[in-house]
Amino acid sequence: MLKRVISPLLFLVFAWFIVTSSDAKIIIAGIAVFLIGMHYMENGFKLFSGGALETILEKFTSTTPKAIGTGFLATAVVQSSSLVSVIVISFLSAELISLTSAVGVVFGSNIGTTATAWLVSAFGLKIKIAHYALPMLIFGVIMGFSRANVYKGLGSILIGLGFIFLGIAYMKEGFETMKEGLDLAEYAMEGYLGVFVYILFGAIATVVIQSSSATMAIIITALSTGQIDYINALSLAIGANVGTTVTAVLGAIASNKNGKRLAVAHFVFNIITGITAVALIYQLKDLVDILAPMLGIAETDDAMKLALFHTIFNVLGVVIVAPFVKPLVRFLETLFRDKHMGRGQPKYLTAEVMEIPASALEALRKETIHLYDKSLEAIVHAMNLHRDKIYSDTDIEVVIEKSTDKIEINIDKVYQEDLKNLYSAIIKYSSMSQSHLDEEGNRRVYELRLTARNIIEMVKDVRELQKNLNHYKKIKHNHMINEYNKLRAELITNLREIQIIREFDGEESEILTQIEILKEKSLDNERIINKDIDSLIRDNIIEPKMASSLINDVGFTHSICKKLLNSAVTLWIKDFQIQELGDEYED
Amino acid sequence: MNMKIKDLMENIDDFFDLSKKKQKNKRDKLKKMIKSLEDKKEDLKQVIRKEANRDKKSKICYNLCKEFKAVNKLLKKAKKRNS
Repeated sequence: MLKRVISPLLFLVFAWFIVTSSDAKIIIAGIAVFLIGMHYMENGFKLFSGGALETILEKFTSTTPKAIGTGFLATAVVQSSSLVSVIVISFLSAELISLTSAVGVVFGSNIGTTATAWLVSAFGLKIKIAHYALPMLIFGVIMGFSRANVYKGLGSILIGLGFIFLGIAYMKEGFETMKEGLDLAEYAMEGYLGVFVYILFGAIATVVIQSSSATMAIIITALSTGQIDYINALSLAIGANVGTTVTAVLGAIASNKNGKRLAVAHFVFNIITGITAVALIYQLKDLVDILAPMLGIAETDDAMKLALFHTIFNVLGVVIVAPFVKPLVRFLETLFRDKHMGRGQPKYLTAEVMEIPASALEALRKETIHLYDKSLEAIVHAMNLHRDKIYSDTDIEVVIEKSTDKIEINIDKVYQEDLKNLYSAIIKYSSMSQSHLDEEGNRRVYELRLTARNIIEMVKDVRELQKNLNHYKKIKHNHMINEYNKLRAELITNLREIQIIREFDGEESEILTQIEILKEKSLDNERIINKDIDSLIRDNIIEPKMASSLINDVGFTHSICKKLLNSAVTLWIKDFQIQELGDEYED
Repeated sequence: MNMKIKDLMENIDDFFDLSKKKQKNKRDKLKKMIKSLEDKKEDLKQVIRKEANRDKKSKICYNLCKEFKAVNKLLKKAKKRNS
């Protein structure tokens, strides 16, 4: 509702500025071009990094200091805290990183965003960057024709930088010509009243533009042209930081619990940092004056001093807040609790994980494992077995002997209520993810989808087995019970081996060899059981009708075991090259 | 003009082709796997021979034969991929 009123109002205000003032028009055009540049840079880095950014954010966030450092570096290089946030929320949803790591990355990212201020003050104002902008745009467009994502990405980065430089040049030109008619510096305010008024301006500007980097670019260009006073510029920079929290909180309203948790972490960080910066603004200004000459910044270079101030107060914020990451994480987990998932609801597949290929693949894998675990529960219960006994150290024969009671389970009902939704979610999200993935990623998705289908087929296979197993138990046909116990024993053997594979932490080629051995043994067992059935028929111990049921059920059991082993290859071998070697259909 | 730029980019792509590097890494990895499987096959042969001399029908011998068969199957697949 608020957005419906504010958006047209802002549109009218901008239109009025553009119509009435040609200088304002140039400045606003500069901001627009700058924002286009940021957008190109963000997309370019997505393509250029080819997953490297995601790998770095996943691997180097195990401790809070590491996470802060990674968040800082990633944001400083990519020049986009929103891209880093999207990746972090996506990873968090796929459980690739912990909430503590994600909060650390967000803190580091706040320091990383100060790189824009350095870029603008060091290059944007010192050299005639508009001269470099045009060649960058030309070469960027040419590189965009490339087939390889790396060059396409590099092209986008060049276009982005070109637009950013062009935007700064426009803003600078606008402020310079504006000064001839209207000197905003006349409205400079001293004391804490000025501090608060300019913080408010900075925050509003950031909320409107939705980018603290763009606000910082405006502040620095306005400062360099003398349109604003230095101390007011410092207040505006604090305001820009506070303004991002509003943007983050607004963006998180429609997000999942992870997005909300991170938005609150961001809010807490920026509010504490803002309060500290306001309280110590004059001391920090003095500190900047002391540090500036040491860094080779001229006393009169207010733009670079502002960039230094921006970095110092964000670093100070991290120093203050970082020791409290763990209590903050506990608070966030209490504030946004994990909703109790309804039966058959996906645990990992959300719109957020689909944003990033690495997390989309991992979420699909984990959801397929979720489907596997749920299906296995139904399968073992249908075979009148309990998982705690299966995965115990007890001898298989003893487990079989003791598991004689019938377990009431309606496989059709389980499928409809628990499994169908999960399976549908895997199908839906695997289709959605394909457009974001490369060839290998798509092949992996295909394998996961095939595995999900195999898992569902296993459940359907066990439905037939269950009927006969319980029938012969009911009529107490000992020979048939004995044969069915052999099938149950084979299932337990394979499940135990798969559990070992699941927990194995060594070479993945060893896992593949082990699975191949199990497949070989399973084939042998099928032959042995069929021989036993033949002798039972010859000796008139079982009727041909019974034999046909048993032969079918032997087939079902071996089909289940084979599918279990093939699922293990896809779900627990991460190296795709090794996984492909275990491909069933390639001999 | 457009096509010419595309041709030019394709040439540059071929020159700096990253997929070739990726493919080389994959081939190297496959070769390493083949070597390790071949070593394993040879080791198993020796152990099976010793075990068969002791008791041909033992469970250990059976398990070793299954392992040998599995390793051999993987080795065949890996060699097929490598060719």
